[in-house]
Amino acid sequence: MKEIISCIFTFLFLLTQNLLFAQSSHDQFMRSNGKIYVVIGVLISIFIGLVLFMIFMERRLKKLEKELNENG
Amino acid sequence: MKHWWKILGIFLMIYSIVAGIGIPLKPGIYDASPSKANTGEQFTMNAVGYLTQFDKTPDDLRAWLKVGNDFAIAANSIGVKNESTLNVSFQIPNNLPTKDRVVDASLIIDSKKNGYAIFPSAVFITNTTQQTSPEGWNNSIADMHEFKSMAFPYRNILQETIRNLFYHVPLWFGMMIIFLISAINSGRFLMTKNQKFDHKASAYASVGTLFGILGLVTGAIWAKHTWGAYWSWDIKQNMSAIAMLVYLAYFVLRNSFEESEQSARIGAVYNIFAFVTLPMLLFVIPRLTDSLHPGNGGNPGFGGEDLDNNMRMVFYPAIIGFTLFGAWMATILYRIEDVKQRIEDRAFYE
Amino acid sequence: MNFSTQIFHLIKKEFILEWRQRYALSGILLYVLATVFIVYSSFVRVPDTAWNSTFWIIILFASVNAIAKSFIGESGNRTLYYYSLMNPYAVILSKMIYNTLLLLILCLLCYAAFSFIAGNPVQNTGLFYLILFLGGTGFSITFTFISAIAAKSKNNATLMAILSFPIIIPILMTLINLSANALGMIKNTAYTNDILILIAIDLILVGMALILFPFLWRD
Repeated sequence: MKEIISCIFTFLFLLTQNLLFAQSSHDQFMRSNGKIYVVIGVLISIFIGLVLFMIFMERRLKKLEKELNENG
Repeated sequence: MKHWWKILGIFLMIYSIVAGIGIPLKPGIYDASPSKANTGEQFTMNAVGYLTQFDKTPDDLRAWLKVGNDFAIAANSIGVKNESTLNVSFQIPNNLPTKDRVVDASLIIDSKKNGYAIFPSAVFITNTTQQTSPEGWNNSIADMHEFKSMAFPYRNILQETIRNLFYHVPLWFGMMIIFLISAINSGRFLMTKNQKFDHKASAYASVGTLFGILGLVTGAIWAKHTWGAYWSWDIKQNMSAIAMLVYLAYFVLRNSFEESEQSARIGAVYNIFAFVTLPMLLFVIPRLTDSLHPGNGGNPGFGGEDLDNNMRMVFYPAIIGFTLFGAWMATILYRIEDVKQRIEDRAFYE
Repeated sequence: MNFSTQIFHLIKKEFILEWRQRYALSGILLYVLATVFIVYSSFVRVPDTAWNSTFWIIILFASVNAIAKSFIGESGNRTLYYYSLMNPYAVILSKMIYNTLLLLILCLLCYAAFSFIAGNPVQNTGLFYLILFLGGTGFSITFTFISAIAAKSKNNATLMAILSFPIIIPILMTLINLSANALGMIKNTAYTNDILILIAIDLILVGMALILFPFLWRD
């Protein structure tokens, strides 16, 4: 499970890097001469942060469920 | 309707993303070259506009070079190449109006369709005659047009990243509000000795730390493309990172006690103490020394022309939206802790 | 016993205890001298910027060492005995006053050692003494309160460092900034503003420590 999650994140990270930063030299990509990709990068990093927090909360909940199952 | 504030938070967040990305920037000047000129010469410069539509109204275009507040020369011919490129020619007078050997002049382009745009320090004019006279310089800048439709201001280095004001700054505002709620709950715990408030305080502190770390990350991304490096050891960046260390220390402290009452009590005391030092780290100390960050070390904050009314209409809702969303996350975390406590209590009594 | 006599007796107790365990005090003094000597031998000719920052960093570490034991060193039974007699405000205030006096002596000694070994670049001496006083007060307030928190835990030495260093940074930054003024490294005529900030930080921290200590000391 952990491997899958880390794989997905690595993929997403590489994808965003490629999409947003490699393209910055071309003028076609989303008004990129105006640095709009910086705003997209900021929004994506906020989103990733919120997702990581969700995972953190889910793990706490899972521990709780385990405890409940063991105690009957 | 119990969940109205969550719906409001989500609505405001979506609104701030849609409006913050969707509303265009005002047309501006992106680049101007060459950037060096001498007095007395016929000077032609190539100006590149951003989001401009010069070819729509080529006859309404006007341009000036402005020196200081009082002196300017108007362009004698303007040639439109395409929608974003102009050739502007000036006859620079024989003498400079000020005593400096080199002055920097701003390029101002006004058009009926695009409104006016300013490119600060576009040309450095060298005085070749070494004489000072205001002859040929006058201030003929008048009847400027405003850009009609709704737009955010164009700033030269910021460009589109001015929109980050809606995503980076509300994280810090939200963090302060959430840490305040956390400290208040710690105070209520010390008054009532009710474990419920301690769980709330720690949940809010977790979300506040998340917001702070996200604020650091988004700030670093923004800094890379405006200041030139992800981390330039700017005092504001350093102090914000230290503020995060204060709260990480809070979690270390909580985990270093086995007894939950003691952990809660001492954690609450430290939480309140930490919250008091937070404004010093984030607002007082960065003012003492030089900083690149707006609002510190003699820099003006975002305000006045940078934060115009259009931006305020997205910025304030974004603060409320981020804070409500953070409060929602904290509530869920608190409920998990609360359920855990109840299960432990039940196991204890049985 | 009224409040002021309580404070007086508690401070007297601190002095007597300190005098009985002279090795602790002399250890700190030795530490100061040794670090100053190391700084001198690694620089030989100490530049002003290095003088300023190393001076305050040595004082920082010396004061952590000096104050960390102020609550940790007390055994449970004795603490219980006189805490039941005394007002909690008297306990924390007496510790703070005693630690301030200790730190002031430490600061002056460190200054003397620095000027003797590494030279004395201070131009505005009056301002520098004022900074030493305010810095010593700020350090002692923060470290005393944090040591009261850290003493409750088992691994208190680590906790003391983790908890106190982020919180001391505002005071340390203001001090380094101000003493750069006293050393003539920067000409800032508006340093009274910084002094006011330092006084405000000290007062806020004292206030918070007094409000919060009663919740802390009773187990």
